[in-house]
Amino acid sequence: MSTLRRLREAPRHLLVCEKSNFGHDKSRHRQHVQTHYLNYRVSFLIPECGILSKELKNIVMEVGPYYLVKNLPLHELIVHDFINNFVKKGKLILSLDKDTYEEIGLQGHPSRYSGRKVMRYIVTLDLMDSSFNPESKKYKRAFWAFSEKKPLKFNFLLAWHHEGTEQSTVMSYFSKYQIQEHQPKIAFSTLRDLQCPLLQSGELEGKPEESCSAPELFDWLGAVFSNVELNNQSFSFVSTYCCPQPSVLVEKAYLCTITGFIVSEKISLLLEQLCHYFDDPKLTPWVTLSVQGFADSPVSWRENEHGFRKGGEHLYNFVIFSNQDYWLQMAVGANDDCPP
Amino acid sequence: MNEKSSRALNNKIFRGGGGMRNNRLARVGIEAEKELHFPECTRSRRGGGMEYGERLRRLRKCEKNECHLSCDAGMAVFADLNLKRGSDTKALKGLLENAAHLGFSTVAINHVVDFKEKKQEIDKPIVPSELFSSLPIVQGKSKPIKILSRLTLIVSDPSHCNVLRATSSRVKLYDIVAVFPKTEKLFHVACTSLDVDLVCISVTEKLPFYFRRPPINVAIERGIGFEITYSPAIKDSTMRRYTISNALSLMQICKGKNVIVSSGAERPLEIRGPYDVANLGLLFGLSESDAKAAVSTNCRATLLHGEDASLCVSYCTRKIKSKGKTNHDKEKENETTSNKKSENIML
Repeated sequence: MSTLRRLREAPRHLLVCEKSNFGHDKSRHRQHVQTHYLNYRVSFLIPECGILSKELKNIVMEVGPYYLVKNLPLHELIVHDFINNFVKKGKLILSLDKDTYEEIGLQGHPSRYSGRKVMRYIVTLDLMDSSFNPESKKYKRAFWAFSEKKPLKFNFLLAWHHEGTEQSTVMSYFSKYQIQEHQPKIAFSTLRDLQCPLLQSGELEGKPEESCSAPELFDWLGAVFSNVELNNQSFSFVSTYCCPQPSVLVEKAYLCTITGFIVSEKISLLLEQLCHYFDDPKLTPWVTLSVQGFADSPVSWRENEHGFRKGGEHLYNFVIFSNQDYWLQMAVGANDDCPP
Repeated sequence: MNEKSSRALNNKIFRGGGGMRNNRLARVGIEAEKELHFPECTRSRRGGGMEYGERLRRLRKCEKNECHLSCDAGMAVFADLNLKRGSDTKALKGLLENAAHLGFSTVAINHVVDFKEKKQEIDKPIVPSELFSSLPIVQGKSKPIKILSRLTLIVSDPSHCNVLRATSSRVKLYDIVAVFPKTEKLFHVACTSLDVDLVCISVTEKLPFYFRRPPINVAIERGIGFEITYSPAIKDSTMRRYTISNALSLMQICKGKNVIVSSGAERPLEIRGPYDVANLGLLFGLSESDAKAAVSTNCRATLLHGEDASLCVSYCTRKIKSKGKTNHDKEKENETTSNKKSENIML
């Protein structure tokens, strides 16, 4: 019956795989990286590598700090001082549940994934809009809503990419609230005797007996990051996952993970440096760079809505080949718009 | 406001049918407060409306109970509305701590009263401060767990329902009132006319009657939820079969609406985490979003339904006392009051 059919289905998820070349004019890799704003974890895996090159290590170590501000009232984020100093262009997007939306009284629209009873609303305030100057009605209404009507205070994680010429820094601006600086957690590890799938850059779907497909690589990469045993031993109860065939046994592979609130500009730098990894001839034909977003962020790419049903995943993964070809895989879960 | 328009207002409120719950509450609030002008424009949904929030907040402060619902704009709020109160207070404490650790923001301690046994007295509900000096904090949020009280009446005879209709009884002290009907006739009565928030579905035995569509549809319209408990299924495999088959027959008729899944746990090990319960809901025939709603949204609706009912009662009694009306008017209001109790506001 319909129940049984429903039980057989997997929860809704989308995986978009595309391939291109970094040298290609129309390659949109930069846009994809830059428009994915809320990044939680960046990992890269380099097979056949024992130590990290100096340039890569520098970039990894210089991923800037992020800040935690506790009990920051929302109206501080729309004050023009803040906008002029830190937000060059941007929007404030609030994803509110029904009660808060009704109490706050601002214009918004119901979330696309609500079903019959709408429980979630999205409010977007364009901070750069010309009608949002300090004298306008819109601004006054928003300010009143945030400060008097429904004073909302949250703990905020802030990450700031600065060119170095601004007058005030984040720490000094928010000095009257408890602001703490955090450094992202960096973990390096070398994996031994890893089974790596064979890939051909031209074949996204993989050729039987010759190379693996992109979704198979995606699953395998997830297994590696979760430290799953890939042998499918008979006594292993936890997992029966095997490395997709054809595969090759790699003596060592370097895995680096950075966890924190990472700005997309740093990820661009990392991506460029990984492209330059193949400037000298290397043993491995490919390296990967994976970026995951925060599970409860309101947007995934640009302004695409992101929802949390059972696991709020939104992530992308670059597979960079020695001939500057790349595969880009973008995945989202349920209650999400399709990635660009 | 003059006599005619206030009576027209009453008629509007007491008429059944659809309409936004907030709209109705807004109008109830105006009468109760007697100071806000009744604005027609609140019917539009544009921008949420300025006045809604005010009235909502005032109305939510129920005089008798202290259930303040504060939903923060964050992740889903999970609730388990059936933690059985046994004789062992220590087990109950452990159970509440476990529930907070698993991530449930709201729980309800369930007092079960079975009328089949000798004359039962309905006890007063447990006050949370008796159990804990400081409530355990919900994992993942920084707020303490909210503990409500719930009464479940197991009815197997029409005379057992009289306690719900009595005006002065301990039933009013509870936040949520549930009924567990044992016969088809009582199920019909519970869905269509009884003033309850939840109807429990039997999970430990083969269903003594078949579900029929008309009373279930009326119950859904009135905002009554159907409850399925899963802790019998954890303990015994025969119960597991009954739970799943009874749940599936319910879902076939009600299509997954207004269903809540709760534990019915007495000991700490019998409760499961909210996402696990949502996955269990898939086995009961719910879709993925319905299953998550069964542990979050629908529970919230039930709580608000429980609050509404007590608010309506207090509003009606206050109104009758405050206005000096003629006898004829008083009779008319009494009549409409009893009608009101049978048509609860839909969320």
